[in-house]
Amino acid sequence: MRKSASQKLGVAAAAAFGIILTSGQIGIPVVGAEGLPEGFKKGDLAPEPSAEMIEAGKRVYFTKCVWCHGVDGAGDGPGADRLWPRPRNFNQGTFKIRHTASGELPLFDAKKPIAGQNDLFETVTHGLPGSAMPSWEGILTEEQRLQVLSFVTTQLVKDRKFTDKQSETQTILQLTELKAKPANAESVKRGSELVVERKCIECHGTEGRGDGNAFNLKDDWGFSIQPADWHKCWNFRGSRQDPYNVKNIFRTFSTGVNGTPMPSFADNTTVDERWDIANFVNSLCERDAEGNPLPIDPLTDKPKINFVVPANLVEGEIPADLENEAWQKAPRRYVAMGGQITHKPRNFVNRIDDIWVRALYNDKSLVYLLEWDDRTKSVAEGKLPWAPTQVNIDVKEQDPKTGEEGSIAANQNNYKVYNDAIAIEHPVKWKELPAPIKPRYLFGTNDQFPVDIVKWEADGSIRAFKGTGWDKDFEERDTYEESLKVLKAEWKNGRWYVMIQRPLGNKKDQDYDEDTFFEVGQYVPTVFFAWDGHNGDAGRKMAVSAFFYTFLNPPIPRETYIYPAVIAFGIVLLEGWVMTRRANKRKGKTL
Amino acid sequence: MKALMSVGALVGVIGLLLLVGMIFDVVPSNTVRLVEGYMPMQMITELAIFVGSFAGLSYMLSAMGMGIPRFWQGIAFWAFILLYLKFRVYPPIPFSVRAMYGTVSLVAVFMWMSSNEEDWKKFKQPIMNVMDAQTGMNKLLRYAYLILLPILIGGFSYNAMVPKSEEPIELRTVHPAPPASTKVHGKTYVLQTSQNPYRVNPEGKYDQEYTNANIVEQGMGRLMKPNANPWDQNAQGYLKYVREGGEIFFQNCHFCHGDNLNGRGLHAFAFNPIPANFTDPGTIAQLQETFIFWRVSKGGIGLPNEGFPWASVMPPWEQHLTVDEIWKVILFEYWHTGYYPRTWD
Repeated sequence: MRKSASQKLGVAAAAAFGIILTSGQIGIPVVGAEGLPEGFKKGDLAPEPSAEMIEAGKRVYFTKCVWCHGVDGAGDGPGADRLWPRPRNFNQGTFKIRHTASGELPLFDAKKPIAGQNDLFETVTHGLPGSAMPSWEGILTEEQRLQVLSFVTTQLVKDRKFTDKQSETQTILQLTELKAKPANAESVKRGSELVVERKCIECHGTEGRGDGNAFNLKDDWGFSIQPADWHKCWNFRGSRQDPYNVKNIFRTFSTGVNGTPMPSFADNTTVDERWDIANFVNSLCERDAEGNPLPIDPLTDKPKINFVVPANLVEGEIPADLENEAWQKAPRRYVAMGGQITHKPRNFVNRIDDIWVRALYNDKSLVYLLEWDDRTKSVAEGKLPWAPTQVNIDVKEQDPKTGEEGSIAANQNNYKVYNDAIAIEHPVKWKELPAPIKPRYLFGTNDQFPVDIVKWEADGSIRAFKGTGWDKDFEERDTYEESLKVLKAEWKNGRWYVMIQRPLGNKKDQDYDEDTFFEVGQYVPTVFFAWDGHNGDAGRKMAVSAFFYTFLNPPIPRETYIYPAVIAFGIVLLEGWVMTRRANKRKGKTL
Repeated sequence: MKALMSVGALVGVIGLLLLVGMIFDVVPSNTVRLVEGYMPMQMITELAIFVGSFAGLSYMLSAMGMGIPRFWQGIAFWAFILLYLKFRVYPPIPFSVRAMYGTVSLVAVFMWMSSNEEDWKKFKQPIMNVMDAQTGMNKLLRYAYLILLPILIGGFSYNAMVPKSEEPIELRTVHPAPPASTKVHGKTYVLQTSQNPYRVNPEGKYDQEYTNANIVEQGMGRLMKPNANPWDQNAQGYLKYVREGGEIFFQNCHFCHGDNLNGRGLHAFAFNPIPANFTDPGTIAQLQETFIFWRVSKGGIGLPNEGFPWASVMPPWEQHLTVDEIWKVILFEYWHTGYYPRTWD
């Protein structure tokens, strides 16, 4: 284990060295007036906040922030170890999201915040989407946010001083003055070439799913981190709750991300090139069928969720080809995933936070197309230390001790590798349950109301289980696999594409005690489970979704055409009656 | 009077521009926030201000000789209410509820228009004009309506009849009736008589007054009272237990219930319904401490049927936490939100 870790470290160091070397060769530094990179200008250090502000900020900090960021601001509060990415360690003054040049302190002025350029204030205001840092707007007043930052910047940042003119400089990206370049096809194309040329894809992957260097990256404190997935812009840390805004990408790319291997590209790209790259990265973010940005739920900063997965009818065989028109036309649903923390082993750090689902059906079967981003293709290295059907396995859980050996954070990329997997769960007798009642969320209610679980694993296996209750082991259904089929299972550049076919189950010879049967036009409760093998996910350590509904779209009934026509005709008659009556009345009056 | 009316008109114009901006996504929809917990009051106030400023606007316009006919005033006001409900309120309210409010406001508009004979005449005059079709313009309008109405109504009914796949509505009881007693870790707790053993003073005596005095200030941006820092090294008794409860909360609960206990944790967005918001005055502030103890111990699975146990992913925490830890977490939740639990008397 140790050896492989040090090996990985070596590879990382070599890769980092290589990147620095090559980027130096490619980029002829683009330097504007005053010897600054293009788009930047010199700034002044902000004055020190008043003692009262610092004192008031201390109260805010010890009520709201201390729980994750710790008493000394070292990012080691009680909640820290079960979070990934970890809370910021303030002590060194290293902050990721800035308008300042690489290595410099972020902008913060307790007295006179410059709108759009008060980095720390904006981080506290909008939070850091994709991490546990919430938006404090509406929770803390503007004054309180400035107070707490006064405390953090003066008392908890220990190695540097925000007001020290000797050692600190400020080179500010003039983002408000730079006009965004229109994201036309030409700009996006140039951007796509530049990300290859500037070696962005070495970490972020050829399709930008953050799968390029998924294992070896560490932050300044030695904790593993991973490159951003460009397809999930709502998880961009500095997105300021405005994920489709290209300016945020431009800023991150221009200033780099301090404390991480993400460098600043200000010195070896022109402003124009940076806009092209930003436009390209922005173009990758998931969009709807018409190419519009997904609606984002302001309460969660994630795409809005539609809990119905509609399945279209297909004549004949259901195609296994993604490019097929039937799949292209099938509505795609965003399924948010959370960590399973009910059963042991609990999954506090779930690396799969969403999957995309489409479905098609014909007269015999139903096919789910499941797609999800997973930076690593994981196939089991060994046998599970417990039966895969076992519930509440008494595995010793790691103590939430921050940063120490054996902690979750220290282990993050050293888990035993299991199979990546995905599963779909349906209650068997959903029709017999009284109207809103569904079986117990995970794994069925009891023998009377069981669930049927179909699970695909990265080793190519597809298995079926019957769950009969919260605390009971699954039963593996030996014969059912024969009626299941994996139409497609492919991992490509950080994304899984899996198509699972199952029978509709409304045949006479079907076993109603174990099989879910699907009926057209009915809402069939559906739950999705996902496992990331490199996260040590196995058994109950997985990501789970809420209850969704699979809905087999019915063909449009004939009445739908007839009744509206009848109604329209009725309206015409009514109009005639009203008009004649009115006309008669008027005549009567005038006479 | 005139000055007042002009101010009203100005407010009205700004308000309208904001709303239109929000509808067309020019102005971010969270520019003026609806504050959680105060939302109904804020909305009623906003609407009242709008009504006042519309009166001002209409006064100004008629003073300038550009008065809007009664008919269009009524229609515009009704349209305004509908748009306000659709675009201003977040999270969005379902269409059925909006339709209800729409009908109520339509009736209100009719009552307003028919409050005196003069107004009612003015209001129905344009309709009568079109029906009588005395002028060429009206004739044209009449034929347009005669053709459009059947098409529109037919279209709407077709739209209503086409099979749709919208999520079925589920009405859930948020606070189902608790049992009389609950058994946790082999010990039975009677919900009416049990007490949180950690509401103690630094001497270790049960002391509600002392804990009251250390509960944080109420209101938005709740913060601890000065000198009530649970992280103080000298903190003893109640405050020490608050810190211990907080540590447990942030190791187990905040993933769903959020850093600010508002139900917006890291995993919250994946669940339906999203986890409880403790800062909402309708949750823990309305409940006894023992109710929370029962809910935390038994989780979603322990809910009675009307509480939709199948919709809650809340773990039965008795499987992961000791009784003492559960009481401490509850202590922390009340301290952090600044609420005081309901008592039985």
